[in-house]
Amino acid sequence: MADTINLLAVFSDLEPAADAIDQLRALGLSDENLNIISGIPVTEAMLGRPNAWSNVPRIAFGGAVLGMFAGIFLAFVTPYWYPYPIQVSSQAYVPGPPSVVVLFELTMLGMLLSTFLGVFLDSFFPNYRPMEYVKEVSDGKIAVFFTCPTESKEKFTKAMTALGAEKVEVAEAEQL
Amino acid sequence: MAYDKKHKEAIPPAEQHHAHSEEHFREKHLMLDPLPRGQMNDMVMESMTEPPTWKFWLVFAILSVIVAYGLFYSWARLILEGVGIAGVNRPAYWGIFLVNTVFWIGISHAGTFISAILRVFRAEFRRPFTRAAELMTTFGLVQAGFSIFMHMGRVWLAYWLMPYPNERMLWPNLHSPLSWDLLAITTYLLSSTMYLFLPLIPDLAMARDKSTGWRKTFYKTLALGFRGTEGEWAHLRNAMNIFAFAIIPVMFSVHTIVSWDFAAATRPGWNSTIFGPYFVVGALHSGMGAVIVVLAIIRATMKNMKYFIRPEHFDAIGKLMLIISMAWAYFFFNDYMVQWYGGDKWTKQLLHFHEAGPLGWMWFAMLIFNVVIPWAILWNPKWRSLPWLVSIVGILINVGMWFERYIIIPISLTINRMPFTWRMYTPGIEIPLGIGTLAFFALLYMVASKLIPLIPVWEVQEGQMAHKLTKYGRETVVTVSELE
Repeated sequence: MADTINLLAVFSDLEPAADAIDQLRALGLSDENLNIISGIPVTEAMLGRPNAWSNVPRIAFGGAVLGMFAGIFLAFVTPYWYPYPIQVSSQAYVPGPPSVVVLFELTMLGMLLSTFLGVFLDSFFPNYRPMEYVKEVSDGKIAVFFTCPTESKEKFTKAMTALGAEKVEVAEAEQL
Repeated sequence: MAYDKKHKEAIPPAEQHHAHSEEHFREKHLMLDPLPRGQMNDMVMESMTEPPTWKFWLVFAILSVIVAYGLFYSWARLILEGVGIAGVNRPAYWGIFLVNTVFWIGISHAGTFISAILRVFRAEFRRPFTRAAELMTTFGLVQAGFSIFMHMGRVWLAYWLMPYPNERMLWPNLHSPLSWDLLAITTYLLSSTMYLFLPLIPDLAMARDKSTGWRKTFYKTLALGFRGTEGEWAHLRNAMNIFAFAIIPVMFSVHTIVSWDFAAATRPGWNSTIFGPYFVVGALHSGMGAVIVVLAIIRATMKNMKYFIRPEHFDAIGKLMLIISMAWAYFFFNDYMVQWYGGDKWTKQLLHFHEAGPLGWMWFAMLIFNVVIPWAILWNPKWRSLPWLVSIVGILINVGMWFERYIIIPISLTINRMPFTWRMYTPGIEIPLGIGTLAFFALLYMVASKLIPLIPVWEVQEGQMAHKLTKYGRETVVTVSELE
């Protein structure tokens, strides 16, 4: 495998960034070798990129199921589990409507907690290691991060500059 | 954009009209008045990092003293001397502690309403103040939690509420609305805090990039290493969509369950099937009133906030307040009418006591503050765009809603089916404790305003990208693209 280098091209707007991505593809880079870093949620469609995979909805669903089981345990199992079952009025030990409340709350709690956790898992948060980044992203710039063969660095740099990149630099991991 | 008279004369009338409209729209709408992102970031950072003025420190000191006396000292007294120093006694065992619990949970509804419901319906005016409202949710729930623990008295035994195997062989009664309260409020507190934090991450990353010293360490820790890659945004977007939809039924469930604490009892004045939605609408009523007060204070006291929070936002919230006030009046009358028509002897006594008893003025004040004043002022677009005026309406609504809870809880408990137990409730230590929670809420907010970007800059920029002016014939209108 040839030596590769990571480059970061910084654009001031979406249009040139989208053009740059097309150009990088034309120069032989695949989508896996590209990443976009931005200060606003630029959708994949705007930049002509494939949809980013996210496990968050699946993790949320799993959490909801776990939460529901916790609710089932509390509502349906525990009333028979301890020696002093509570008789409320003429209600059964496991009455329907109150059990619905317990099931609902724990299902939602499970889903929302796992959604939150899902963001952490999918995004590898917290991550305090040095990372490739440019601070201009916070100020609205769009950074195109890509990996290319070392010997083609000049070619890629020129192509990005021609498309309006404000700067193209070797992406070095730095402490954020 | 400077508008030049000479230039105006040089361009044809139709173009002049367009230019004039554009200028007018820019002045009016934040979404049509974009600034470079870096400049907006700097404005938000400046609002947080500018050295506090003497007025800030004065208010901070006053609130700290009130919190120290009203909350901590008075609570310590309550713990050491027992609930006997509170005014609760037969027949009103529930007093101001629970009035405040319901009140603060109500306040907390505004954040979710603005952030989740308006996000789901893509109401664009929400963008600059979602975080300010979400913070209210979290801080309001903290006060609600405090109020419940105060009511509990022996607060160190609060863990008995939790279902866990124990040597006493006791288990919480999960058929009880009080147990559901624990589940619902815990779920709501956790989820609203997470929902506050998720959209905050990109702004914390921005603050990390723009700060030094201890602030850098603080924001760096909280930003969790966020860079803004496609994957990070995709996960965040997915999570925020799930939260926006899922937290709405949770919000509704919280106040409905709180209402069942009362409605599930077969007491005059409480046993109502409409209490759930009545409480939810009441919560939104006080919550929106509180949001507008907070926004007016932020706008008036924090640097650069006049750019982000404009009269258009007060106008939009004012409309919502008017609609919610109408909904509240509808539910109130519905609840009142059915009880009045029922003709039950004790219920009639209670309704008469509400209106003509020693605290009858509170009942009338409730109606004036919650219905008459909002309707009289908020119908007028000019009046509801005036921050000082709508914030006065917001304060009065909150006073009115606090009165409503006071009428529902201790006043309604005064009249029951056993006249020999009738006795007026007179609050004791509850008063400093209640004032203490109010001061603590304000104090938390003041501290947060210096640490947390109150404006979600990335959401504002996203909205500004989506808005533009389009000319249809001679009319210039605002169009919004769906970027999300």
